[in-house]
Amino acid sequence: MLVHTYKRSITLVAILSLLPLILILLVMRVYPIAIAIARSFTNWDGIYQKDWVGLRNYIEFIREGPFLMILRNTLILLLNVPLQVFFGLLVALLLYERVIGWKFFRAVIYTPQIISAVIIGYLFRIFFGFRGPVNIILKAIGLESMAIEWFGNSYTALAVIVISITWYGIGWQAIVMLGGMSSIDPSVLEAAIIDGANYWQRAFRVMFPMIIRVIEFGVIASGVWTLTQLFPFLHVMTRGGPGYETTTLDYMIYLKSFGFSFGINYGMACAIAVILLFIILALTSLEMLVSKRAEIGRRA
Amino acid sequence: MSTQKRLSKRNLMLFLILTILIVSFLYPLYFMLINSLKTRTEYYVDPFRLPHEGLQFNNYITMVSQFRILSLFKNTFIISAGTVLLLLIIGVLASYVFAKVPFKGKAVVFLAVLMTMFVPSQVTIIPLYVGFSKVGMVNTYFSVILAYLALFLPEAILLMTANFRVIPDELLEAAEIDGCNYLQKIWYVVIPMGRSAIFLAIIFYFIMSWNDLFTPMILLTKMEKRTVMVALAALMGRYSGSPTFQFAGLLLSAVPALVVYFIFQRKIIQGLSMGAIK
Repeated sequence: MLVHTYKRSITLVAILSLLPLILILLVMRVYPIAIAIARSFTNWDGIYQKDWVGLRNYIEFIREGPFLMILRNTLILLLNVPLQVFFGLLVALLLYERVIGWKFFRAVIYTPQIISAVIIGYLFRIFFGFRGPVNIILKAIGLESMAIEWFGNSYTALAVIVISITWYGIGWQAIVMLGGMSSIDPSVLEAAIIDGANYWQRAFRVMFPMIIRVIEFGVIASGVWTLTQLFPFLHVMTRGGPGYETTTLDYMIYLKSFGFSFGINYGMACAIAVILLFIILALTSLEMLVSKRAEIGRRA
Repeated sequence: MSTQKRLSKRNLMLFLILTILIVSFLYPLYFMLINSLKTRTEYYVDPFRLPHEGLQFNNYITMVSQFRILSLFKNTFIISAGTVLLLLIIGVLASYVFAKVPFKGKAVVFLAVLMTMFVPSQVTIIPLYVGFSKVGMVNTYFSVILAYLALFLPEAILLMTANFRVIPDELLEAAEIDGCNYLQKIWYVVIPMGRSAIFLAIIFYFIMSWNDLFTPMILLTKMEKRTVMVALAALMGRYSGSPTFQFAGLLLSAVPALVVYFIFQRKIIQGLSMGAIK
């Protein structure tokens, strides 16, 4: 009897402790997701109309909108993932050697992550501006023809964005990779040295296979990041322009809902949001699948 | 002997490569600093040179007097501090239950909470905005704080639950025998024992909410309610003709997060390398 009431009071306490969390997630996440999915099949304007239009938003977006251009932009911007991972690995390898001052280097390499993307975006916009320092240097070393209006053309604008987000992401990758490397048993590397493996053989044949899980995580996490977190960079550097030339899915959601005073279409924006949601869910379940496979592999 | 020599030669090379990398990471900050202390003309004459016509603090004075950056700091601080405070209260209570209190269906609830972590904020922002405007909460700090709580709580709980799990049960039982009630147990045992995770969450989510643009930009439309980043993004375009002024603004708004980072960087990096936080 006593045990019974004790158990009941424990359950009550548990429910009370979880209540604020559950309420917030239900109201602020679950309900809005349901609304976004439901409204993606309507001509919602946020106020009066929400008539059922079936798949029209999706079809219109894919057939008529700047869909192909967004696809192209996203693919180009995803180039930052291999770049980030490559430089991150390189920096992690350097830091792993623990040369003098490596802790200071480690702290500095992470600083871009602490600075707001708004600030970094502006910084790169000014650096690559027509009268900015990059063009001044190019002119000074006689490459006058390369000193162009970087944000005037979609390919160079996208290149500048890729450079800026790579610069921003290297620190995160390096710290994560370094974390993976420090969990390697040093005796494995010592054994490789005794077997006569040189530095690069040790890095590629011994170290990389042992942190392949961490590398996979880095790739997928920064891929998801590229698809969902570019808003501040794009907003301060190009506003998705010229035209839609540097727009991505996540920026398009903004343009279709809060961006222009014309062409606002909440229903369409919700449809794009749902497309983005499914891409992200696919990527994260891929990540989970990979990690589960790795776990089973480790156990076997 | 010879291997040692080769080793130190290699170390010197690694040191040099790292130094070059570090310079490329610090140079933009240095560039902003020297040019924020120049006049516009001096900047356009030679942006790479140290200021030599005397230091100009005008850019910073204008930032404070016209751009009202201090009141923007105040707005941002209210949101960031409020977010962190509520995040801790709700997060610690929930994490303790997930870590130590057995109940039916716990694993399912925990998984469901974590699942929401993967949904991008762009997906939910339109219904949120419409909902908030219906109940008259657009342009309140609390709307942004609520949105942040929903975004950050699952990750923070993942971090804290992992940390609370390793607290020995004997300690909690001993506290109970000493007459601690449920909340006292959390206050006197769980919080001190889990302080590394709690500390990491405080720093990390403070910086995250300080730096964010998207959510406050949508939910706060009134000028006087704006956060630093929203105001920067909106107003800097107007000053594109005077980069020195822009540099002053960019640098000033980066300072609070950078100060927090450099005081606590060892803890942050430690937490990151444990793979605790993305």
